[in-house]
Amino acid sequence: MPPRVRRCNRTCYVSWKGEPDMARPCAVVGIGQTKYKRRRDDLSLDGLVREAALRALDDAEVSFADIDAVVLGKAPDALEGVIMPELSLADALGAVGKPIHRVHTAGSVGASTAISAAVLVESGRYDTVLTVTYEKQSEGNATWALSGGKSGGQGAGGTFAPWIREYIRRSGAPEHIGWQVAVKDRQNALKNQYAHLHLHDISIEAVRESPMLWDPLHFLESCPSSDGAAAMVLSSEDLVSRSPNTPAWVLGHAKRTEFSSFPGRDTVKPQAGVDCAAALYKEVGITDPRRQIDTAELYVPFSWYEPMWLEGHLIAPDGEGWKMTDEGATELGGDFPVNCSGGVLSSNPIGASGMIRCLEAANQVRGTAGDYQVDGARVALGHAYGGAAQYFAMWIVSSELDPAFS
Amino acid sequence: MAELFEIDFNLEYPYTRTTGPIIGPFLTGLRDGRMLATRVGARVICPPVEYDPDTGATVGAENLVEVGPAGEVTGWTWVAQPTSKHPFEHPFAFAQIKLDGADTTMLHAVDAGSEDSMSTGMRVVVRFRGDRQGTINDVYFVPGDEAPAAPEVDDDAEPVRITEHLIGVRIREPLLPHRRRFVEGLRQGRIIGQRSPVDGKVHVPSRGYDATNRVPMTPDDDVEVADVGTVTSFTEIVPVQYHGQTETEPYIRCSVLLDGADSTVGGIDIRDIKVEDFRVGMRLQMVWREDDRIGEFDNRGYGLNEEVYERWEPTGEPDVDPELLKEHNF
Repeated sequence: MPPRVRRCNRTCYVSWKGEPDMARPCAVVGIGQTKYKRRRDDLSLDGLVREAALRALDDAEVSFADIDAVVLGKAPDALEGVIMPELSLADALGAVGKPIHRVHTAGSVGASTAISAAVLVESGRYDTVLTVTYEKQSEGNATWALSGGKSGGQGAGGTFAPWIREYIRRSGAPEHIGWQVAVKDRQNALKNQYAHLHLHDISIEAVRESPMLWDPLHFLESCPSSDGAAAMVLSSEDLVSRSPNTPAWVLGHAKRTEFSSFPGRDTVKPQAGVDCAAALYKEVGITDPRRQIDTAELYVPFSWYEPMWLEGHLIAPDGEGWKMTDEGATELGGDFPVNCSGGVLSSNPIGASGMIRCLEAANQVRGTAGDYQVDGARVALGHAYGGAAQYFAMWIVSSELDPAFS
Repeated sequence: MAELFEIDFNLEYPYTRTTGPIIGPFLTGLRDGRMLATRVGARVICPPVEYDPDTGATVGAENLVEVGPAGEVTGWTWVAQPTSKHPFEHPFAFAQIKLDGADTTMLHAVDAGSEDSMSTGMRVVVRFRGDRQGTINDVYFVPGDEAPAAPEVDDDAEPVRITEHLIGVRIREPLLPHRRRFVEGLRQGRIIGQRSPVDGKVHVPSRGYDATNRVPMTPDDDVEVADVGTVTSFTEIVPVQYHGQTETEPYIRCSVLLDGADSTVGGIDIRDIKVEDFRVGMRLQMVWREDDRIGEFDNRGYGLNEEVYERWEPTGEPDVDPELLKEHNF
């Protein structure tokens, strides 16, 4: 069989040495999600990942027999206390006798897992890969785990709140921006059957009056704790036609990391996040992200991270991200809709949350986003960050294999 | 003082498990005096499985079948010194047991009395404990074939759907050399950092290397910094209740850039300054504890242990412009 290698053009890789690198195209051909809930006590952990996996296989119209490899991702094992779950979940994922890979990059893991699965297809090693991520937060306690099991932990909110305050100081953003994001994402979630939170009475007043958890973050500006799993089937170009639904082509992806703490670190706009976005846009051929990307699913577990990542990933100039929120640009119907699915603020099975961003970006370009579909979405960004805002993973998908950007 | 330099870390949490359609009935069976397996194709698999390991197909509760109560040992090991997590306080065997009617083995405990009583191929039979909760430890095995008496069963008990397990890991490790010097310094009332030999930046506390420039740092790079500094970031935390949490009232956590340092010490605990009076840029003086108790340190923290200090007091100096602290807000 001749090697199936993509012609090297604008959408091919540039290796870390800066040289063109051959990679064959990969597409999302199947998507599966569970309903996200506070507690999925109707399912075992095995049953939870299985539900998402089977839905992705159904969507792709393939079976376990068609899968060459499985890539599993989740946040720290301490969240459920199940050590090396990639082994015990192999039966449920039809992976016995097949290669199974485990990815872990803290909160960004869902997107890192999607990228790892895409690389396995792009490299030519496997033709069809099933990738699954999950968290069953109800079986443990994330704040306990993130506190290293000690009293007085800061939790994720306590870690990010000081950096949010610094963003507000630098940008001069008015305090209602955070409330606005909290309302927008919850209103979007009302259109998404899988979303955990369906807050019909959400309003600016409700957010503002909700308890202050980590000053300046209110309760309703924070993500919920969810059980759930998300899955995708990725296929090589020659097998895409086997699946009847529209593919979402993976045009490019990038991952970057930095240390949590070192002299000179900018926690508000981490260099790794800037580099990750710049590398991604270069790979895909994007020169003006706000105009050339139709919609984005950004990892926003706390409201203020919408404007922070708009700036931190070069979509808005410094100090301008909050204005996009304020003007309604990031609403469904705006010129740069963000988190039309409801985002992490509405569903947070931590290990899956990044993959949900990636698969919701794919939903948009496949035209399968239902009530939260962005009209005519052709190019979409999926993004996640993790740790102390130090791990980044992003991908861009499109309805076209080789879209022109003007 | 030796105990100061060995870290004994115990991480433990009462996790829950939703048992699902197969493991739930299996555990319910143990509680109610029955050993259940699943029929999967031509095989009977015990303990039962939710999915066919060969094909990935769903097995389904209709394929649950009863096996045992006796079976054959196919392999075993003697546990001469049981720990608190083991099913017995006295020595016992862990064995692979193929129950009558099953085609696969399950790992379980055999209360055999002595190692001499154990052999591969021996017959063992289940025994039901008195206080059964629907867990794998509701049963154990003894040598022989004699079926157990039917245990007393509460017919009104709900099927097992959620179980709780205290799962933990205990780690012992030595305090690393740079960390020992840091802790020794604190006992003497000095805060020791390390100056990077590459860019001259002072890391407090140090990791023993300069991650930015990828070079190790040695005792020659140790420097003392002040116990006075500037608040670079803070939040007021309303404590979330979780296993082991003792905090109940809101408290401030801040990062402080100590004079002479380029990295901040994080997680500083503030109890006696009101949040409305607290500011980035504010100057603070650490007030040391008078005794030499400094609490437990591990190798990974980026703060000062809260037992090192009584409190931090505003110095009354003018605030530092927050714009100058932009790169220190970790």
